[in-house]
Amino acid sequence: MSLVIDHPYLIPSERLKKRAFIFSVLAIIVIGLSIILDLNPLLFFTDGHHLINLLGEMVPPNVDILWEKKSIFSSILETLAMAFLGTCFGGGIALGIAFLAATNTSPHPVFRFIFRGLMSIERVIPKLVIILVFVIAVGLGPFAGMLTLTIGTIGMFGKLFADAIEEVDPEPVEATYATGASKLQVIKYCIIPQVLPSFTANLFYAFDVNLRSAIGLGIFGGGGIGFEIHMAMKMLRYKDALALILFTIILISIFEKFSDYLRAQILNEQTLK
Amino acid sequence: MIEVKNITKSTKEGRQILKGISFKAKKGDFIGILGPSGAGKTLTMRCLNGLTKPTTGEILITIDNQVHDIAKNKGKELRQMRQKIGVVFQGFNLVKRLSVLENVMIGKLGQINQFRSLFKGFNNEEAQKAYEALEKVKIEKLAKRKVASLSGGEMQRVAIARAIFQEPVILLADEPIANLDPTNAKKIMKRLKPLSEEMPVIGVFHQPEIASKYCNRIIALKDGTVVYDGNSDISEDLLMDIYGDELQEIENQALVSAPLA
Repeated sequence: MSLVIDHPYLIPSERLKKRAFIFSVLAIIVIGLSIILDLNPLLFFTDGHHLINLLGEMVPPNVDILWEKKSIFSSILETLAMAFLGTCFGGGIALGIAFLAATNTSPHPVFRFIFRGLMSIERVIPKLVIILVFVIAVGLGPFAGMLTLTIGTIGMFGKLFADAIEEVDPEPVEATYATGASKLQVIKYCIIPQVLPSFTANLFYAFDVNLRSAIGLGIFGGGGIGFEIHMAMKMLRYKDALALILFTIILISIFEKFSDYLRAQILNEQTLK
Repeated sequence: MIEVKNITKSTKEGRQILKGISFKAKKGDFIGILGPSGAGKTLTMRCLNGLTKPTTGEILITIDNQVHDIAKNKGKELRQMRQKIGVVFQGFNLVKRLSVLENVMIGKLGQINQFRSLFKGFNNEEAQKAYEALEKVKIEKLAKRKVASLSGGEMQRVAIARAIFQEPVILLADEPIANLDPTNAKKIMKRLKPLSEEMPVIGVFHQPEIASKYCNRIIALKDGTVVYDGNSDISEDLLMDIYGDELQEIENQALVSAPLA
């Protein structure tokens, strides 16, 4: 009796052929796109010294800028405020929308369809495009940045919150309906206790994401420390720029550690005693 | 008092699953519903608390001397009837992140003022009553623990306390001991039995020997009809009649679990 292998992946030569094919297709795409974009890998070797020169001009960082220019600290505060307020407003609205967009809490499937649709459209639009619109609408500055972060938080975290609501354990929900409770009562006593930890964790995560975005948005007219770094680079004050970059990195790391600590404390309180 | 009058249930495709089931249950009845898989046990239970509507027939439940038909009621009336029907589920169906006492109090959600339940919560008197419900199933010591930290047997007792706290006129239990080991299964049966002095208790069970030991009445279903309704002294012949080929399997399971019991 001959051996029958009914699964093609079990034959090594077949597998190799398949891999070779996939890799060659990928290689053709990479080379083709590089040609279209006019990428020249040789530049890296012929002009590489420019990069090294630039890095050379950046050190040592001019730490004194932090004391000399008082506006640096208010810029930092602006960036933090943008991220925090964007998270609060966006997160708050996202929470409300999530209950309308989740199948098991939505008052009507139409709400679910509309809000899910709006949120996915929002996620497709890059933040950098949104801020350009807000800068024209409300002018340069942190207000435009905050509005952008608010919209971004709604799109991203509204969906995450809605998914978390849809994933709750359905059994206690059925049991609570079986006692004659109304939908709002089921939401308060059965669904919210189940989703609270994931909401908390996600809101902290949203702040982390927004803090990074806030720096980037500064360059596009959102103000804050991002704008300061951008200006320093533009005006060839490379040593100032490096100082600001380092300062920002340290500050974000501290804030991240702090938010990690807070989140752990809150989650601990919510989890089992 | 509950009276099931000739209920039938057909699927959308027209296949009849329940073919006319009738029985009455009153205070003092601890009914064990037996039957092979597919006989319509769980479907009957779902009809009894309105989770499923029967195609034809009536299910008359007497609440405060008034007779209601749960097979006909919808919306607010259905919610009001459910407040008086206690249900214990196979999977316990508790909110694991809440405490034992909070889970018990959920049993009365439908009966308290909607506005108060959403913005204030339960009052001390209700907490006290909920605690007394826990005393009835003898787990009042666990009142402040999170449900997630309990064992299966403890969780099912919390679920029973939740049903007691509802002050129901009838208690339904859909395979309440199927997820439990024999020791805990017996404990649960011992807690359910005295409740039948206050209201009819109707349970679906998979183990005929446990049902016949604790229940005082057995209703056997087969192919969507009642094939036996009488006292809990059921003979081997009757079991053979009810379960057919499945009987051997059920008895084997009983043998495996016997040493633990």
